[in-house]
Order: sequence, then C-alpha cells, then structure tokens
Amino acid sequence: MSNGRDEKRPRLFRLPTSRRRLRRDIDRELHFHIEGRIEELVASGLTREQAEREVTQRFGDMAVVRDQLEEIDTRTHRRHEFGEWRSALTRDFGQAFRGLVLRPAFAAVVVLTLGLGIGATTAIYALLDAVVLRPLPYPNASRLVYIEHPVPGVETNAKWRMSQAGYFFFRKNSKALEDIALFNKTEASLVTPDEAERVRAAAVSGNFFEVVGARPLLGRTFTDADNRPNATPVAMLGYAFWRQRFNGDPRVVGTSVSLGSVPVTIVGVAPATLDLPDYQTQVWIPLELDPNAPAVNSHYLDAIGRLRPGVTVAAAQADAARLTSHLPEEFPGAYTAGFMRESRFGVLVSPLRDVVIGTMSHTLWILLGAVAIVMLIAFANVANLFLVRAEARRRETDIRLALGADRLHLAGHYIAESLLLSLIGGMLAVGLAYGAIQCLLVLNPSSVPRLAEVSLGWQAGVVALVLSLGAGTVLGLLPLTRRALGRDRVSTLREGGRTQTASRGQLSARSALVVAQMALAVVLLAAAGLMVRSFQRIRTVQPGFDASGVLTFEVSLPYSRYAPYVRGPAAYLPVFRYHRDLAQQLAALPGVTSVGMTQALAMKDGDGCASVFIKGKDYSRGNPPCVGTVVAGPGYFATLGIPVRGRVPTWADVDDQSGAVVVSKALAERMWPGDDAIGKELRPNGNNPPWYHVVGVTGDVLTHGLDQPPSEIVYYPMVPMEGAPLWSPPTHMTVAIRTRATDPLSLAPAARRIVTALDREVPVANVQTMQTIVEQSTARTTFAMLLLAVAGGMALVLSAVGIYGVISYTVAQRRPEIGVRMALGAQAAQVGRMVVAQSLRVAAAGIAIGLLGAFATTRVLQSLLFGVSPTDPVTLGGVTIVLVMLGALAAYAPARRATKVDPVEVLRRE
Amino acid sequence: MPDTELDLLRGTLDLLILKTLSWGPMHGLAVLRWIEQVTEQRLQITEGALYPALHRMEQKGWLGADWGYSDRNREAKFYKLTAAGRRQLTAELSKWSRYTEAVNLLIAAQGAR
Repeated sequence: MSNGRDEKRPRLFRLPTSRRRLRRDIDRELHFHIEGRIEELVASGLTREQAEREVTQRFGDMAVVRDQLEEIDTRTHRRHEFGEWRSALTRDFGQAFRGLVLRPAFAAVVVLTLGLGIGATTAIYALLDAVVLRPLPYPNASRLVYIEHPVPGVETNAKWRMSQAGYFFFRKNSKALEDIALFNKTEASLVTPDEAERVRAAAVSGNFFEVVGARPLLGRTFTDADNRPNATPVAMLGYAFWRQRFNGDPRVVGTSVSLGSVPVTIVGVAPATLDLPDYQTQVWIPLELDPNAPAVNSHYLDAIGRLRPGVTVAAAQADAARLTSHLPEEFPGAYTAGFMRESRFGVLVSPLRDVVIGTMSHTLWILLGAVAIVMLIAFANVANLFLVRAEARRRETDIRLALGADRLHLAGHYIAESLLLSLIGGMLAVGLAYGAIQCLLVLNPSSVPRLAEVSLGWQAGVVALVLSLGAGTVLGLLPLTRRALGRDRVSTLREGGRTQTASRGQLSARSALVVAQMALAVVLLAAAGLMVRSFQRIRTVQPGFDASGVLTFEVSLPYSRYAPYVRGPAAYLPVFRYHRDLAQQLAALPGVTSVGMTQALAMKDGDGCASVFIKGKDYSRGNPPCVGTVVAGPGYFATLGIPVRGRVPTWADVDDQSGAVVVSKALAERMWPGDDAIGKELRPNGNNPPWYHVVGVTGDVLTHGLDQPPSEIVYYPMVPMEGAPLWSPPTHMTVAIRTRATDPLSLAPAARRIVTALDREVPVANVQTMQTIVEQSTARTTFAMLLLAVAGGMALVLSAVGIYGVISYTVAQRRPEIGVRMALGAQAAQVGRMVVAQSLRVAAAGIAIGLLGAFATTRVLQSLLFGVSPTDPVTLGGVTIVLVMLGALAAYAPARRATKVDPVEVLRRE
Repeated sequence: MPDTELDLLRGTLDLLILKTLSWGPMHGLAVLRWIEQVTEQRLQITEGALYPALHRMEQKGWLGADWGYSDRNREAKFYKLTAAGRRQLTAELSKWSRYTEAVNLLIAAQGAR
C-alpha cells in the first residue's frame, strides 16, 4: 500500500531510508536517461534495436557506474541522515523542554515520582552491590575460603572454628588449598605515659598477609617465626590507627611500644585497604602457634584458606572432609572416635564472602524486590499521567497524523519529552540515593556487614541511568501504541472533539494500571506488616533480665601482673581482689544500686560450650552434655535483674572456694527433670575434679538473642575450686552497673575515673547501655522492618494517588453522562455511590490479585519473621481493610464533585 | 587515460554542469543534451562521467536533487544549483579564466632563445 503511494505521489524531501531504496533511485534515474536517449535516436530514424545498441555502447559499463553512484549516494545519505537526526534531536528536545516549562506541575509530578521510585531502587542496589555483589577487598578475594567445623551432635547449628593441631595438619596435607592463614579478633592495652588505651587487635598467623594478597605499606609483615612461642614480640599498625595515633609518621617502624605491659617492636604498617571483615584493626600482632604443642581439642582460630588455581570450593570441601576423617588416627588423644561420632564433627569450606555477608544477602535481595515494587507503582502512576495527557492531546496528534506527519517523527517528539522528564527524574534519583546512603552510614546499622565499603558507586549510577532511559522510552511510546491499537482517526476529527469521552479501551488500560498498582501495594504492605508484627512480637519477648538502667563496660587486666604463673587458686587471687575492690567502689557511686561482672555478658558474648557431668549419672557411654559456661561475679544477677531462686554466691563464697554455682532454669529442667536442682552436684571436665553444688536457679534467660530458645548455662564463680583448673584467670571482664539515673551513660565518666584510680594500666572499653546491646540483637529484624515499612508507606501513598487520579478523571469524563442521569431524576447520593462503587471495584480487583501474590511470595521472608506465619491472616486482613478504606477515601472527593454536577449547564454545553 | 587528462576533464566537467544548471533545474539527460547542443557536439561527455559527477556534486552540497516529472510526464531526478553551488560556479569560472589566460599567454609567447 505504501509502495503504491510512493510511486503515485513523488514527495519532496523524501529521504531514502535504505540501501535498497538508494539502488532503486539510481536505477530509476539511469533508466529514464537510457529511455530518453533511445527515443531520441528512434526519432532520428534508427530502429529500436540499433538505438539500444548505440546507447549501451556509449554508456560504457553500466554496472561500474551504478556501483560508483551507489557508493557516493550512501555517503551522501549517511551525512544527510546524521544532520537530520541532529536537528531532529535539537528540535524535539527543544520543543519538549518548552512544552514542559509551560506545564510545570505535570513535569514536577512526573520527575518527583520517577525520582522517588528510581532513587529508592538505586540506593538499595548500591547497598546490595557494595555488601553482596562486590568481591571482598583482598587481591585474592575470589580464591579465599573460610573453614569451620559443624558439630550438629553438640548443638544443631553450632560451628566450631579451627584447632591449632588441625591447622598444622590441614596446612601440611591439603591438596586443594595453597595455604591456610589464621586470625583472631582480640584486644590489647596500649600503654603510654599518659593513659592506657584499649585497642582492637588482630592476632594473625605469619602467612596471613601473603594468603590474602596484601603487602605492607611500610616495613615488613609477619613470618612463621613470629608465631613461635617466646619469639621477640612484634606488632604492625593498622593504617587508620597509624595515621591518627602516630600522625602517619614513618619513623614509628622500628620503635617500641608497650602492649599489655610488654614492650613490643613495631615492624610495619598495614596498607589502608587491608582489614579483617567488619573490623577496624588498630594493631596487628602475631598469634602464638606451636607446631610441637600436644594436640588439644580446642577450636578457637578463624581459618582462611586460599584455593589452588582452578580448584573449586566443592573440591576443597571434599579434600577437607578427607583430612577431617584422618584426625582420630593423627591425634588419638584429642579426637577420639567416640567424640567424632557423638559430636558428628565435620568440616565446612565456604567462600569467605558468604561467611562475611551471612544472611544479609537474603535480606538485601528482599529489600531490592520491595523497592522495585515501589518503583513499578510509581511508574504506573506516571504512565497513567501520560495516558491522560495523550488523551488530552488526541486531537492534536490526530491532526498531525492526518496532515501526513511521520509516525516516526511523532514518536521522536513524544520520546524526547518523556526522556527529558525521566532523565531529570534519574538525576533526582541519584541525588536521593546519595542522601539515603549517607543517612544509612550515619545510622550505622550494626546488622549490615561491610558497611564501611558502602558508597554510591558507578554501578548504581548505571542502574539509575538504565532505569530512567527505560522508563522514558516506554512512557514515550505509550501514546503511540495506543494509537496503533486505537480507533480510526478520521472519526475523532469528525466528532470535532466535542464530547471527549475516553474510549472503553483507554479507560480499562488505566484501570488495569491501577489494579496492578494496588496488587503490588498489597504484596509490599503484607511484607511490611509481617515485619512490623514480628518486631512487635520480638519486643514483647521477656529476655529474662531487665535491660533498662544498666551501664556496661569492659575492663582488661594486664595478663602479666594479674595472672601469675602459679598453680591452684592463688593464680586467681589478683583478679578476684581487683574485681571485689572495683565492685565495692562502683557501688558507692551515687545512684548505683548494684554492681556485677561477667566474662560473657548476656546478648553480647557467646556463652561458650563446655562439658558438664551431673553427679549420679553414668557417662561411660557417650559424651556429657555441652552447656554454656559463664564466669560471673556475685552481683551479676541482681544487676541484670535476673531472678534467682535459692541463693546467689557471695564474695565470701568465691574467696572460700565453696563451690557454690547457679544454673539457668533451662539447664536445671534438662538435667534434673521433675526434680529440684538446688542441692544437686555437678562438675566440669578434667582429671576427677571436685563437685560443685547448685545453690540457685535463675529464671529463663535468652542470652543468644530474643528469637532464640532459653540458654542452658552454669554460672561458675571467678575462682575455681582446688583441683578444677577450669579456665585461666578471667582478666577480661564486662562490668555491669544498675543505676537509678535516667541515662545510665551519665555514670560512665565517674566509673572510668574509679577504674583508672584503681590501676592506671587498666583500660575501659565498649561503654554502652544494656538497652543498646539488646537492641543490637534484633538489629537485623529492625533494619528489615524499617526499610520495608518505608517502602510500604511509599507504596500506599503512590497507590492512593493512582486510584484517586483515575477516579477523578473518570468523573470528569462522565460529566455529560452524570448530567443526563441527574436530569432524568437521579439523586446526588446515588451518583456519589456510583463513583465510590467504581473505585471499590478497582480496589477489590487489585486487592484480590495482591493477596494471591502475597500468598505466593511472603514465604521469602520466613527467615526474618518471628512468631508470625508468612500468611498471617491478621496481617493480610489488616492490609485488605487498609486498602479498601484507601479505595473509598480516594473516591470521596471525586464523588463529591460528581454530585455537584449541574445538569442544566452540562446539557446546554452538549 | 592518464591521470592528468582525467583531472582536467573532471574539473572542466564540474564547471560545465554548474554553468548548465545555472539556467534552471534539469535532469541528467537534459544536462547532457544542453552541453552537446550548446557546444555543437564538440564536447562528447559520457554518461559514465556525467552521473558520478552529478552525484558527487550533490554530496558536496552544490546541487540539490528532487524527483519530478519530465515534459513527457515520466518520473525523473531533477538537479538544481544550491546557494553553495552558485558560489562554486563563480569560483570555478574565475579559476577557468585565470587558467585559460595563463595557457594563452604561454602559447602566445615568443621563443626566448
């Protein structure tokens, strides 16, 4: 059809658009020429055959000329096209810009909505990118694995770290790993003439830097020799600490500092980019490792392996499993066959990155899904706006098309406009995302790993750009696809645009967008609702202690002076005396009601796991149970408000080594079911140690987190009984102070003064309230809930705007119809009901689809939920009610407008 | 043909075409006829030279091309001078007269032996 038209009606300024067209034009031109020539010759008397021969001969090789012409024309065409394109671009964007300046409200709404939607997505993508997608900041990151030992026989999800003997054995015999490095997060006291400072230290094996692929910034790193017992003490400084504490002075290398009262030589400075995951190492020190030490079943070392090139994690896992199975024959003393069987001691090799990111990867993907939904809802709103506008411009478009405007040019015009808007929206989005990331960094949620690495990278910029380009293109094409589907345009012109009723098709397209929007909002609100309910549930959980009004801080006693190398209880006396004096002095502070201390503060530190033997039970077959083992000072229970039935050991008990212990309710119930634990006897592992007797039973305590079951714990006194060498002297304790002050932190300076006065070399660290510690334990739930709630709120507002927009537009469109109805006697209330009913129909469709979607998708939240089923009927019901109300509310104003329609005026206008 | 001759011819051909089209839009055949007529068949120009020249000059922007109908109502491609073509014609004319003057001077000169 178009071909025929082209030939009938030669058009001016027609641009050949393809090679074929160029060739056809050339042929036509030459054909005309040859025909003309032949006719000329025939007229002069030649026969047609003679004329043809004559002309062809004169012309020469036609194919060569044709190719020559084609080559020239192709070049001409290209240049022409580029010029056209450039001028069209300038024209279209110029027009679009002027058009938008004339309609600032439309432009502002579109830019804001798109900016919000794309910005939220960009921000979460930036977070996901930095935390999950980007490799860890080590040169060898892709080949680093973490090695640990699952012991499901001890505790379902328990995983032990590596033992020293296991390390040397694995390092020597592994076929899949090139090398294995160890690290331990620890703390040390840096003592200067002015003060003692608590520093975050990383104790590492000599090959650590080499394994992760880092070189020192200054000096040297450690070697295996530095790990040997009795090696000259050395240390490296962390980059930031070196800059801040030593002013970045390179001469510090080679000097000596006092670390835990021992002089240590600084041998190097670590590079700025190197750190343990989620740790700001201030001082690096060598681990003490002894290849000749007898094997001990003690797993306290974090192990990083580096895969040989080309070896997969699965292969390394198989290799490690093989080595693990040889442990009993290698170290019969430490790993008995019975132990291996009972604990189901295994090995797990996983990419280091997975271990660092943990469950946050899952949470972030869910959040990305949530903001993507917000973006789609926002986009649906904007699409609706564009459809309404296209409707308003229908006549303009039709006239242009009727006058022969090129569809392509028209598309260019529309796309220029929508691209302009979406790109401005994209810029706004990048700004918003940047702001959001900065806010997040300020809030510093402890549940997000690798937070220090989070920034708005170019990847996030690309995401914002692609999203805005995509949105702009689709929005620009929208009116045209409708055209393509739409009715015959002559009829619109004939109608003269008098009664601009939207066609059913357009209206249903818009309703469909709103239904989709509502459905998405239901899914998102259901997710947010489930999180909020989980959060509520978790807040009502009784942790078994009273966190309010408690200040906590850590004290670290120099090992050299407080842990004398003597046998028996005498070794514990310095620690005991220090803490007794400290407790006494702190208790004398105004407002303080009690003081306690522990080696493992509830919710903050792990309780560890040690065997306990119950008197009267036979353990010859199978291992004794492994339970939490915590050293606690006398005031601990009173200070944390943990209720104790029976009595609590006193300082005198501790001093006398009376062997009085307190156990947790959960432990008592498991060990002595149906019987009173008080008066029973138990003892730790060892060479026939003495029996301890239970004097008190606490209430249930949740020390591992509010979403965990009550802990099984034996609270041992600070000084063990003669013959029970349970633990080394607890030089590192957390002190808890219960105060009547509104802000427990206000007590911190006074407490600090007392600690310093007692011993100048004892630093105070990690001063925080118990409340903060409890909140941190639910940080992941809180984080996910907050972000999902924000996303849900945005979805709600955007959907409200969407449904309001469509309903009020329909009312405007139906004015004539409403006028007629009222003229025929319809009551205002009836008309109002009609409008509200329409809105509710749309809302109901959206809610129905959304509920199905929620049923299908909320399962992904499972691991984040607490005490709520993913299809919790209360939540889904609540969301349904909220959205029905939304549908009714959104219709309220349009319904009122509908009732105000004046039939006389409407009819006159018709 | 040696290069020098071709160059000379091509330069001259451009001039001839520009001058011819200065009388108004023409299709290729008309251009050829006009040159043959006016020069009394003394200049024989082949189609193989004419059409590439026309297209090249179109590319340079000296000529514009539109499709139209010949006097016998056949569809033909009409060429016309653009503003740039007019400027080019002036330049070519002055170049041509300088060139012929120089050649004439040389021919008219007496031997200096």
